[in-house]
Amino acid sequence: SFPGQRKEDKLEAPAARGWAWGVVFHFFLVNVLVMGMLKTFGIFFVAFQEEVGGSSEQVSWIGSIMSSLRFLGAPLVAVVCEKLGERPTSIIGAGLVGGGCLLSTQATSVPFLCVSMGLLLGLGFACLYQAAAVMTAKRCRTRLAFSNAIARSGMGLTFLMAPFTQLLIDFYGWQGTLLIFGGIMLNLVPSSMLLRPSSPRPPQHSSVENQDHGSSMAKEDSEPLDKCLDGTTHREIQPHGVQDLPIMERVMIPHSRDVSGPVNTLDLEGSEKSLMGSCSAETTTEVKRSYKSLPATEKENPQPLLDFSPLKDPVFGIFTWSFLFSHLAYFVPMFHLVARARTLGISSMDASYLIAVAGITETVSQLLSGWVADQNWTKKYHYHVTYLVLGGVTNLLCPLATTFPLLMTYAVAFAVFCGGFMALVLPVLVDLVGVQKLHSYLGFAAFFAGIAAVGGPPLAGWLYDYTQTYACSFLFAGACALISPLSFCFEPSAQKWKLKKANL
Amino acid sequence: GVSGTSIEKNITLDSAARIELSCRLDHKYSHWKNLQVTWKRGNETIRHISKTENSWSIQLRILDNSSLGSYSCTLKGEEEISAMFHLQVPKIEGKEKPIVSYEGDTAVMICKSFGYTPIAWTWYMTNGSEQIAINDSLLADKYSINRVSANVTHLKILKLTKEDDGVYWCEAAFELGKSRGKLKLKVLSFMVPLKPFLAIVAEAVILVILVFLYEIYSKRKEKCA
Repeated sequence: SFPGQRKEDKLEAPAARGWAWGVVFHFFLVNVLVMGMLKTFGIFFVAFQEEVGGSSEQVSWIGSIMSSLRFLGAPLVAVVCEKLGERPTSIIGAGLVGGGCLLSTQATSVPFLCVSMGLLLGLGFACLYQAAAVMTAKRCRTRLAFSNAIARSGMGLTFLMAPFTQLLIDFYGWQGTLLIFGGIMLNLVPSSMLLRPSSPRPPQHSSVENQDHGSSMAKEDSEPLDKCLDGTTHREIQPHGVQDLPIMERVMIPHSRDVSGPVNTLDLEGSEKSLMGSCSAETTTEVKRSYKSLPATEKENPQPLLDFSPLKDPVFGIFTWSFLFSHLAYFVPMFHLVARARTLGISSMDASYLIAVAGITETVSQLLSGWVADQNWTKKYHYHVTYLVLGGVTNLLCPLATTFPLLMTYAVAFAVFCGGFMALVLPVLVDLVGVQKLHSYLGFAAFFAGIAAVGGPPLAGWLYDYTQTYACSFLFAGACALISPLSFCFEPSAQKWKLKKANL
Repeated sequence: GVSGTSIEKNITLDSAARIELSCRLDHKYSHWKNLQVTWKRGNETIRHISKTENSWSIQLRILDNSSLGSYSCTLKGEEEISAMFHLQVPKIEGKEKPIVSYEGDTAVMICKSFGYTPIAWTWYMTNGSEQIAINDSLLADKYSINRVSANVTHLKILKLTKEDDGVYWCEAAFELGKSRGKLKLKVLSFMVPLKPFLAIVAEAVILVILVFLYEIYSKRKEKCA
């Protein structure tokens, strides 16, 4: 079977790479549209307040529900993703967003908008984001950091959305604008179709015992599987009978449960359980086991609906601690940079120039950091920690910046470090946890980040009210940025603890 | 002041008041001899100027609209310096950008007065070259005028049609006169944004079909290969 495998590897590589770019492109689009929508909400805010009525506080609830649900909905979305697969989830997400926009055009009151715009859009964004992020992690094994950075650079383009939205509102009113946005969001449906479920790398040692079972199953299922498979691999392997492949492919696309025969469903559950294990190399042995103890497997391991295991994992704790504080450290200065510039006497024209430069620098630094991390000179989280520490130090020095050139230097430095660590969040998580369990981990991590996102702005505002100066927010952000990498010191010991537990 | 230029000042009055306008000469010009100061309103000269060391002032009793206007003081010495005072009622701001709404929908037009409370608000609609006052009791199911607070008025137009498109005026009546703000209403039919929307949806559907076809094609290609 080796010649066959090598041939299939060579043929798989270009096709797989092509689809990987498709996934990155989709993630990029998601970033542009989702972030763009969230950022341009401020423009809709004015229109809503005037025309739909309601106080400032009520209308801002819509925006906060929308942006917080994007994070808080992640665990739920992780469950859906695991059940249905990424592609259907992403299409559902795009549908929710488009539908939410269209429904909002009929809105007559603020509570209606809270549900139609806040809830539906928030959930839709969560679906889209989670599916795209995990798919990127699954597809781009070797160059994850760089692909992630390219996709995140989409956020840099969102500054174009603001004048565009304003133009649309002037022309069509907020209802027409929402209608058109709904249409634009529906464009995410074809791009979600690019999220083709991939076949995991076939294990090097084929299990000969399963050959007979495998090839017969494969031949039966080849028809319904056609629409889901990355065809090259399937076809090449058929005659040589590397049979784990079709089974695992069936696993990746659970919607092909329409496959005939009760035997097949048993196989499915058996191998699904096997895939839930830590790495693909182990799956072969587990698949062997599952074939031998088929009925037993089914009863022993029911699929948990909501996988709470990440919460018990210390690695998750490490990651979430860092994620939470680094997000706080990122958001607070962003909010208060312009205000601080104004209090120092800098005009708002110059202040917006600051933001623009920071945005561009961040995008460029994300790409650079992603590329550097992919060179694998050292473990990715070392870079992450370095950026965080440097970013924290920069923030602590910020109160010393009292003139425009100094503030510009601060903004550029901060953007460089921010871009650096933001680009590495997903790759670091993948390094810590592996791709198989990424869904539930990312879901819960995003949930906790959402709590930070919800609490961050009010906390920043409270800090200002309490100290009457914006310098304190920067000190706070610096402190957060320095606290967040502390948890990574525990990473080696946490991994050892995990291994010990697994071997027990 | 500086010679050769003219200084202007706007004074806003909403109710009857006694006002004192004074022109003061900068002490760097105090060496001028033969200073002649004239207070004018338009072409009419005003008497009763009271003079102190370096300033000349007049006292006015503003009782009604006719007393408002532009007052000027002119100092003739070696050169001529003048200053203008514009007495006016509070300005009402309308909206620069048109309010966009759709047929069959409701539009709310808001007018605010800053700082001064008007006695009454009236809304006018422009029909051709005429301005017609909007009577909300007569057409109660079409218009509704609401004085939300002392300084803010809302005009709600229900069941919009194409004829409602145009310029509207909100007029605030003060004791000393009236002041107007301009608002524009644009009524669009649903077709207007619907066309780009359908175009975008069609494009998305085409892309979906293309991706789908490409997948089927690539599978068939491998089937044959």
